[in-house]
Amino acid sequence: MSAPEPIPGHEPGSARYRDRMIGLFLLAAALFSPPLLGLFSVKGTILGVPILYGWVFGIWAAVIALAALAGRAR
Amino acid sequence: MEAGLDWAAVLIAALVYLSALFAIAHWADRREAAGRSVIASPTVFALSLGVYCTTWTFYGSVGRAATLGIGFLPVYLGPTLLMLLAPLLLRKILRIAKAQRITSIADFLASRYGHSPLLGGLVALTATVGVTPYIALQLKAVAVSFDALTGGGLGAPTEPFLDQGFLIAAVMALFAIVFGARQIDAAEHHPGMVAAIALESLVKLVAFLAVGIFVVWGLHGGLASLFAAAAARPDLARLMGSEAALGHAASGGGPWGAWVATTILSAAAMLCLPRQFQVMVIESTDERHLDRAIWLFPLYLLLINLFVLPVTLSGLLTFGGGMDPDLFMVALPLNGGAGWLALLAFLGGLSAAAGMIVVETVALSTMLCNDLVMPILLRTRPRALARSADLAPLLLAVRRIAIVAILLFGYGYFRLAGSAYALVSIGLISFAAVAQFAPALIGGLYWRGATRRGAIGGVAAGALVWAYTLLLPSFARSGWLPSGFITEGPWGIAALRPYALFGLEGWDSLAHSLFWTALANIGAYVGLSLFDRQGAAERVQATAFVDVFHSAPDVATPRREAPPDWRSAASVGDLTRVVARFLGPQRAGRAFDGADPDEPAGPDRLRLAERLLAGAIGGASARVALASSVSAGAVEAAELLRMLDETSDVIAHSRALERKTAELERATDALRAANERLTELDRLKDDFLSTVTHELRTPLTSIRALSEILHDDPELDSEQRQEFLAVIIKESERLTRLINQVLDMAKIEAGALDWRIGTIDAGQALAEAVVATEALFRERGIALSVDIPERLPPVRGDVDRVIQVVVNLLSNAAKFTPPGGRTRLVARLADGVLRVAVIDSGPGVPAKDRDLVFDRFRQSGDALTGKPAGTGLGLAIAKRIVEHLGGRIGVEDAPDGPVAESATGASFWFTLPLAVSPSGQGAGEPPVMIRKID
Repeated sequence: MSAPEPIPGHEPGSARYRDRMIGLFLLAAALFSPPLLGLFSVKGTILGVPILYGWVFGIWAAVIALAALAGRAR
Repeated sequence: MEAGLDWAAVLIAALVYLSALFAIAHWADRREAAGRSVIASPTVFALSLGVYCTTWTFYGSVGRAATLGIGFLPVYLGPTLLMLLAPLLLRKILRIAKAQRITSIADFLASRYGHSPLLGGLVALTATVGVTPYIALQLKAVAVSFDALTGGGLGAPTEPFLDQGFLIAAVMALFAIVFGARQIDAAEHHPGMVAAIALESLVKLVAFLAVGIFVVWGLHGGLASLFAAAAARPDLARLMGSEAALGHAASGGGPWGAWVATTILSAAAMLCLPRQFQVMVIESTDERHLDRAIWLFPLYLLLINLFVLPVTLSGLLTFGGGMDPDLFMVALPLNGGAGWLALLAFLGGLSAAAGMIVVETVALSTMLCNDLVMPILLRTRPRALARSADLAPLLLAVRRIAIVAILLFGYGYFRLAGSAYALVSIGLISFAAVAQFAPALIGGLYWRGATRRGAIGGVAAGALVWAYTLLLPSFARSGWLPSGFITEGPWGIAALRPYALFGLEGWDSLAHSLFWTALANIGAYVGLSLFDRQGAAERVQATAFVDVFHSAPDVATPRREAPPDWRSAASVGDLTRVVARFLGPQRAGRAFDGADPDEPAGPDRLRLAERLLAGAIGGASARVALASSVSAGAVEAAELLRMLDETSDVIAHSRALERKTAELERATDALRAANERLTELDRLKDDFLSTVTHELRTPLTSIRALSEILHDDPELDSEQRQEFLAVIIKESERLTRLINQVLDMAKIEAGALDWRIGTIDAGQALAEAVVATEALFRERGIALSVDIPERLPPVRGDVDRVIQVVVNLLSNAAKFTPPGGRTRLVARLADGVLRVAVIDSGPGVPAKDRDLVFDRFRQSGDALTGKPAGTGLGLAIAKRIVEHLGGRIGVEDAPDGPVAESATGASFWFTLPLAVSPSGQGAGEPPVMIRKID
């Protein structure tokens, strides 16, 4: 996979990073919102863990991973 | 349930742990002082943010999960969301805080809104009222967990001041004073404290994870079996679904309010809690550390919450309803026979409490000192303060007293409130209090037009509504106010019921309060700002905050001297005195080094003093301190403040103009210099022309006169004829020489001279020059002596040109030495060069003329005869030749001292580089005789 051409000068790059983080913020805010969380309030377990509990921590971890990646792949 | 651990052992373990924290903090301070900081690391920075997790997290999350299920999570999702916005929000705050030398969140807001002492004081007061009870909660958690661990070994603490709560408060006060208020530091950095809380964050995380792993795998054989066991109990099964946290979808989304409100409030608290602002902004050493904290801190939050629900479920399965869920963290390992793990859990909780208490008290004490006490003291007791030469001890005393007072207040509240609702619920109530700073804080970063009155109105309105909708009801629920206050409203007015203000019923109390406080706060903030006008100082600060990324990086560098017409009445001495009072004489001396104390201070020094003071006592106090500092009668305080404002304003506007003016001035100067040089050259050329013309005419005149005689008088006897012809020949030679020199000079100037540089025998060249000028000296009756060593090493040069140089110098000497005088030609070896000197007994060259005599067209020839004695080219040519050959030329007094009265003698000297060719001597061309005179 070819990486996008790095933009000369760091300002445009950091603006891109900022935009990505704002996008990630909006995504996380939506995912953590009660209506979407309520959808996963179903009975049952995955690997012994209740689905809602696993889901909340799963997307939390995913958001953190994306934040770390956004900072790395500028 | 097993019996608890020995209380004395637990106490000793706790004290050993706290001593270790002291040692770590001390070590970190030492490392910092030695320039090898341990806290300048993004990981330490992220860990220090973990001070967010107090005992309310460590013990309280389990308690919340016992009733709300996953409803404990928004408190940690809020900060996670906030950290995602860090590149936008926090980076800007960090940059501003560094540029403005911010000391606390109160200082930040006060500085943004025109250094308003009123706003700073309001924020400090609100934060203290909102957060100090939270400290009580920490003391209570430590005391209760201690009792749980030891099985109430100390017995019920009956007499005050002897229980664990007081002990921990006392140790924390000591820690805060030692590492948080030891000296007045302009940057408000506390590396020891930061290192200690980073370690505490690690300890509480490890403790929580250890307890979680023990509970899940040690007591229940894995997650699956634990959740399966819990699912079998209907009362526990509901904790694993969303109903407890979010309510039924059918219930109109009521409980959603609590989830959303908690998320928003905790995000705001992450920014606005004094301790968070302290570690995140004030203690930050490098804004690039944010890049890692953006994901590392949320990861920390995730990990520390990972086992909350399993521990809750296990506790409820084990103890049923017979125990406070807040104590499961200690009780479960103890019950499982792992006493050491229970002790670790207790130390984890102690870490959570200690970190929170220390940072919070340090942040609050700084705030109270800089934004409440000092402005009041400076206004009410300016004379008493003015008498004191060094105020640093006073500042430290105020902070230390504030630390002790906050902790005493916290302890008192803990003793008074005990297990009352007001204490238990204080966590989120505190969050709601500090969230009142958020609109003014975030608005101030992006909205240039936000004004001081708007910010004050917003914070005040928000704080009042907060007190009415959250604080007072919590008092009522604790039984300190009649319960009718909540159910029927004050004086039975139903519309004023604090949990259902104006009939807004069915809401979660937190969401209800958030709605009304936000309405009042943002409404007042925006409304007042829109109908307000900013003063000059406000406008400058607003621009400095909003445009922090656009401002020139050289804001912090002192500008050059103030314009002399600045009508400042404050003197440098005044400023030095006031800065010395707060920061000590050394800092003040360094800041105003070399300035005359009586000199007017000028706007630059005024700004410098303001910035220095702001670092130590906050922006608002700094201005008041400056105003009260100037000698009475010299200038009105208001006048000085106005000057400061105008200065900021003028500086902002005039910097660009000033730059342009400076450039213009430089260009003008260069032009003027060039013009002067041209005029001078023109004058020199005129002089030269008249000199040359004169020199040419003199021999021409005599040649012509003698030729005419010879032509007109054929009867002239042959002896006479011969004599005349000799004169004609001599004058012709003189003419030729003159013209040759002019041509030489022109060639050298044009770079067209034909050089033949090689290894030459200097002795030979000198001898030839002597031969060429001997006649001249003889004719004038001057004794010429030659002092040249037998064997001179070969030098690099052009033999013809070297002879020319020596001839020029000798002719020059012959010209200026009076008849009967002496001239010596001396050659010596020195430092790898050959130094040749022509020493005469003439009048010498005055020191001021020594650089000039080698200039083209210059001559000091009128010394003896009152008329120019040469073309003024001889020395100029010699200089150019010597320099082209890589030597130096100069003139000094004759080494023998004055040779006669009014005649110091001159020594014209030059150097030639020795030939260092490996072939040794004799490699150059043979010396050539170029001129023969008689």
